[in-house]
Amino acid sequence: MTTAVAPHGLTTVASTPAGKRADIYTGLRGRWWRFLVILVVTAVVLVPIASVVFLSLQPALGSTSTAPITLENFANVFSQTSVGTWMANSLAVTVITVLIAVIVAAPAGYVLSRARNRLVSGYSLVLFIVQSLPVVTAVIPLFILFAAIGLVDNLVGVTIIYVGSTMSVAIWMMAAYYDSIPIALEEAAWMDGCSVLGGFVRVVLRNSLPGILSTAIFAFLLAWNDYLIAVVFLRSDPNYTLPVGLETFFQQNATNWGLVMAVAVVMMLPPVLLFSVLNRYFSVGGIGGSLAGR
Amino acid sequence: MSTNSVVNRLQRAKAGVGVGGSGSASPRKKGRFSARTWTLIAFALPSLILLLLINLYPVIYAGIQSVRNGDLIDAGNFVGFANYAKILSDPAFWAAAQFTVIFTVTGVFGSWLIGLALALLLRTRIPGGGVFKVLLLLPWVVPVVVSATSWNWLVATPQSPLPMLAQALGLGNVLFLANPVLAQVTVCVFKVWISFPFMMMMMSSALASVDVNVYEAAKVDGASSWQSFSHITMPLIARTTYVSWILMTIFCVNDFPTIFLLTGGGPVNSTTSLVVLAYRTVFQNFQTGPGVAIAFVMTLVLVVISVALYRQIRKVNIE
Repeated sequence: MTTAVAPHGLTTVASTPAGKRADIYTGLRGRWWRFLVILVVTAVVLVPIASVVFLSLQPALGSTSTAPITLENFANVFSQTSVGTWMANSLAVTVITVLIAVIVAAPAGYVLSRARNRLVSGYSLVLFIVQSLPVVTAVIPLFILFAAIGLVDNLVGVTIIYVGSTMSVAIWMMAAYYDSIPIALEEAAWMDGCSVLGGFVRVVLRNSLPGILSTAIFAFLLAWNDYLIAVVFLRSDPNYTLPVGLETFFQQNATNWGLVMAVAVVMMLPPVLLFSVLNRYFSVGGIGGSLAGR
Repeated sequence: MSTNSVVNRLQRAKAGVGVGGSGSASPRKKGRFSARTWTLIAFALPSLILLLLINLYPVIYAGIQSVRNGDLIDAGNFVGFANYAKILSDPAFWAAAQFTVIFTVTGVFGSWLIGLALALLLRTRIPGGGVFKVLLLLPWVVPVVVSATSWNWLVATPQSPLPMLAQALGLGNVLFLANPVLAQVTVCVFKVWISFPFMMMMMSSALASVDVNVYEAAKVDGASSWQSFSHITMPLIARTTYVSWILMTIFCVNDFPTIFLLTGGGPVNSTTSLVVLAYRTVFQNFQTGPGVAIAFVMTLVLVVISVALYRQIRKVNIE
């Protein structure tokens, strides 16, 4: 390699950055084995998820159907179980969690992003401590408290806990997004006589849709996918959310895989669809969403 | 939004400096100060009330519970550190602690290695790269109850697909969830499968912030690709790496459904982690005091590990 290459390389950077990246990292030579590796890894990784879909489309137990793919299991599952109720419960809990989480975290994130003093430092520290506490420690006292005020086996109870569990990460995510909005925009609004609240709502919040969406997706995944809180607090079939419903149903019908997997498909479809449609807010907008607990 | 700002915030939170440095005065105009301060307090107040009620109150209450002999209904009497003495002298506790360490170490580094490798591959231009990115995130998006059910179907009984495959390959009768050691391995692999997309996202976003021109310069200077990776890429993504380790450590130590839904803690308690042990002690054996004490000991260790890793971050905080 001669020094003459360097200036050439630099002009390429200036004109076509995308092509430049490809040159550095791959070259045509490397492309195909990389593609193959990714293809094989993705295929292996997706086996468990593909199995769920595949099994759910098999003919039901005792069915006379000879079609390779049927929706019998789905028909059976909706007629024989309360999966409709569980789904409605899950949806209600999740939607309300998302709404409250965004409404509470949006202004709180603004404080974290813009204010600078000791109180905010303390607030920031509280958020971090809360995030590292094990859920199982909080569940026991909350169970005792909720039992006393009638929130055990109650969807309101689990919703309250979900909102609390989303808080730290939701606030960080909103604050991280506000950091990308120049403060000059608000200062201009203040000059024009806008209050802090007015500047926040009319200037900052208006430009924060990607941040809000990202936070909402995070809260959605947390509330929709949670098992531990639901299994502790929800005690009767009509109050089950999908995770407890599926697990209970699985315990009772462990051999009827078609039925079990039909419930599983119903459960994983909303987050997968949501994520497929809105994933650009994750890939572009960031990773904050990945702070969801698993 | 970027990883870095979340990352910075985490670090500052730990360092106790918040987002605003070391408590210097607000740069805002003095005339606005009061109204502005009140507005900001009002902004933060709802979240603070929620955090205190849902997150901090229970932990304080749990601290009280851990030194009493009550149950879920009765508060019981003060028993000092009897609960702690009881659990610390119980071999089941130490077995659970040991498995928690195995689970966490494999979970963190397994998912990190795979996530980093995939992030490096996906950084290059690959046909259909965007589709692969979404597909590879699915294990993290799909509810763990669903994936645990599916893994059960794949491995649980001798008639499941994977044991049948092992049989066909001449490996004999492989009992993935019935053999204690194999069950531990299976649970750890399951955790890595669930968690690598998180690491992939963290690492992708860190890699995206690395200036590609640096590689060209290194190449001109005669650096090999391994040298480029170890001397350029790694130092530049070191901070995000440490933060992702810390977060994943917290996720793994606190993880309940991954283990509980796949094995229930068995066979013969081989996959019982501290969280599963705490859950069983409280909700299956109805011993609140010892159960909460387990959770507290666990929290303490978690905080120590987090602090140790954070110190490390501040050392590599160059950028």
